Amino acid sequence: MNIQDFKQQLFERGENQGFNDMELYYEKSDSFNCKIDLGEVDQFTTAEEIGVSFRGVYKGKMGYAYTEKLDESSIEFLVENARENALILEEEDQEEIYQGDSEYKDVNFLSEDLQQVSNEEKINFMKEFDRHIYKIDERVTGTGFFQLMSNNIEKAMYNTKGLALEDQNNFIAFGVMVIVKENDLTKSGMHFKHVQDWASLDPEEEAKKAVEEAISYLNPMEVESNDYPVLLRHDAASSLLATFLSIFSAETAQKGMSKLKDKVGKKIAGNNVTFVDEPFRQDAMKSRTFDAEGVASKELTVVENGKLNTLFHNRKTAKKDGVESTGHAYKESYKGSLTVSPSNFYLVPGEPSYDDIVSSLKEGVVVTSLSGLHSGVNQISGDFSVAANGYYVKDGEVQAATNLMTIAGNFFDLLNHVESVGSDLEFSPFSGVGAPSFLVEGLSVTFE
Amino acid sequence: MLNQSIVQDVISQALSTGGDFAEVFVEDRLKNSITLQSGIIDNSLSGRDFGVGIRVYHGFRSAYTYTTDFSKEGLLKTAQNAANAIQGENRLEPQSFKSQTIQPIHPVTQMPQSVEKTRKANVLKNAYDIAKRHHQSISQVKVNYLDEEQNVLIANSNGKFVEDKRVHSRLAIAAIASNEHDMETGFYGPGAVQGFEFMENLDLGHYATEAARIAVTNLGADPCPSGKFPVIIDNEFGGVIFHEACGHGLEATSVAKGKSAFANKVGERVAPDIVTYIDDGTLQNEWGSINIDDEGNLPQKNVLIEDGILKGYLVDQLNSRIMDTAPTGSGRRESYRFAPTSRMTNTYIAPGDSSPEEIIADTEYGIYAKYMGGGQVNPATGDYNFAINEAYMVKDGKIDKPVRGATLIGNGPKTLQAVDMVGNNLGHGAGMCGSLSGSIPVNVGQPTLRVSEMTVGGRKEEA
Repeated sequence: MNIQDFKQQLFERGENQGFNDMELYYEKSDSFNCKIDLGEVDQFTTAEEIGVSFRGVYKGKMGYAYTEKLDESSIEFLVENARENALILEEEDQEEIYQGDSEYKDVNFLSEDLQQVSNEEKINFMKEFDRHIYKIDERVTGTGFFQLMSNNIEKAMYNTKGLALEDQNNFIAFGVMVIVKENDLTKSGMHFKHVQDWASLDPEEEAKKAVEEAISYLNPMEVESNDYPVLLRHDAASSLLATFLSIFSAETAQKGMSKLKDKVGKKIAGNNVTFVDEPFRQDAMKSRTFDAEGVASKELTVVENGKLNTLFHNRKTAKKDGVESTGHAYKESYKGSLTVSPSNFYLVPGEPSYDDIVSSLKEGVVVTSLSGLHSGVNQISGDFSVAANGYYVKDGEVQAATNLMTIAGNFFDLLNHVESVGSDLEFSPFSGVGAPSFLVEGLSVTFE
Repeated sequence: MLNQSIVQDVISQALSTGGDFAEVFVEDRLKNSITLQSGIIDNSLSGRDFGVGIRVYHGFRSAYTYTTDFSKEGLLKTAQNAANAIQGENRLEPQSFKSQTIQPIHPVTQMPQSVEKTRKANVLKNAYDIAKRHHQSISQVKVNYLDEEQNVLIANSNGKFVEDKRVHSRLAIAAIASNEHDMETGFYGPGAVQGFEFMENLDLGHYATEAARIAVTNLGADPCPSGKFPVIIDNEFGGVIFHEACGHGLEATSVAKGKSAFANKVGERVAPDIVTYIDDGTLQNEWGSINIDDEGNLPQKNVLIEDGILKGYLVDQLNSRIMDTAPTGSGRRESYRFAPTSRMTNTYIAPGDSSPEEIIADTEYGIYAKYMGGGQVNPATGDYNFAINEAYMVKDGKIDKPVRGATLIGNGPKTLQAVDMVGNNLGHGAGMCGSLSGSIPVNVGQPTLRVSEMTVGGRKEEA
């Protein structure tokens, strides 16, 4: 059944069953994914997927249901389950179906060039990338994970108030874990990238970055556990920011689970900290022209020189706080319910380069990656204690890698103790959050 | 779910370029999730996942494709996409299907789809009331109810044609305790391969109270010291540490390529003789249990480590070719979106002789990890990290004050070597395990045990 027929029958049945306003949200994705091991394609996946979610107002409550099967049995499933779901909801403040804004930014996130790249070309790129990995350094023993994925995503929203919106996006992302060995010690380094500009990719260049990263962890030195100034490299920095992203959500705040509740208009960070959300970046993965409620997206400065200007709002949280929606309604996919989340959120970069900051350190630790972020973090209190990899710095120079460490601190304290912010802004291919490297005054560092 | 002749055509199409094995996995899954927060039901979602995954092998290589398009043309096109990635010499004729009926070994009495949502909502309300009432400092309780009915059809070119129904139910209770300065959380998430009868028989008094008690305990706790200590890990979910640190290293996924620290070590000593490590998908109605795996094979009790000696691995079909050993009923996947690979089911350390009291009494100074949080491991190096959700100092053989914010870091194979006491109180805890073939329900388990030395990361420097 095509989506327009499905929509029509769904809305008809919904109306017959007593629904008032209704919405159909649609996602279609075509993807390709390959893994390479020892020069060969180890895994090859292609997929074509469609999913839709229905939401509608029944007796004053918003009921939800989704399906991946577009057939008549699903229409009955959606309407029946959405109705039953609406009936058990107890919240007084309810979502509404939105009639739409007068204007939406006219921007195309789809790269026609990328559309034309065949799966064979992508595999060849990976095979060449793989050859270079083994050529660059004889300490390379293998790759633990070597994968490329490309995706073409269409999103659309139709509702009974006449709104019809569509966005389309495509991208390529790849990642590799290079394994190296020296003196009986095995170490690994990761390299990831998310791009739309296929022509800009050079397999040798990427291989070099990946191998250098892995080699940098060989021959670690013993370092005494202590409080150190910590330079979070851009990738570690963005993963830490991503972990604490929910503190900027008005929804989290209204549920009493963010310390930023009642802090709008107040200083929450040092003067050198500015956070921006920019939905129209061509190079970032969370770009959009409308949010999950159909509100037009716009650029937003969330924290300006340390002052919290606003939290992220959807229409429901905005109504509760007596403000306008900032256009940050979000659904993880058609499977999710409505929450609040930024588009391309990032820490605005400063002047010094990464190398400048390292040179400025008398003694300190560079953290290049964090793990255990889903478990070693308390988003509410801001406390974190997470495993980290990185280097020891003395007299302005990186001495060597350290053994596995944990760094511990408090995110809210950290925002007020940023010593300097680097110029090397990069967006994470996982979370979509962007950060430059930044230096924090003192964190507790424990070495294994 | 799909008729045999269409499936037969799809398999033929998948083999058209010379593949030597093809498999079709059809999934139709109905899900319900209900959330209660601040005392009211604020979210209720229902969904239907439906799709078909097609896999083709040629020797050690494989291709996987999937689609939500269930038309015959859509399926044949998807099969052709998979075939296009294979270049074989001979065209194989698939064997005709020998339809198999699976006797479910995990009985379900109340199918979740047949239970009214208001009854499900009542379970959340009861859990909320118990947790909220526990202590005045409990400021927020979030309860999540989940049920799933997954219907699958697995057919392959060897003539397999089998259907299964998997039913899962889980309740997750998160409590937050707060005072002027801090907020702390406590969590408990029991689950089973059962229908709504699981919810009706669940001891909410125990689980909801524990979630609240953990939050309250952490609120009054000092920051955990960092350094190296003996660590006593309590039973049930404490087993997560060996799941991450050893279990993943025993999966064929990492063993077949020689990338695990346990590769090529069958018959060798990898742990002290008090350690026996087992994966068993047949444990009745346990959260990680299965009737058949996602390749259509029966689950079994796999003894991985016996008295410290490595006995075997968890092996899926593709890796069984590479390793030249029989599959162990361990092929699992999150959904049709993933090709199956070797995964755990219910994995646990077998009980030993010591009582939990003896283990504590034997410890002069260390950490007692009563409830573990999540963690992760780098399979190439075996390095892991974990959060402890509820921890205490142990002094002079007695449990002392609670401490918070502790993490454990270390290396899996080394930690296994350092187990020096194993208790007699085996228990299992439910979790979700994420790996190559997606996120799947697994149990982790162990009795209370002690590791002679682990690195603890905390916010307080050890004096």
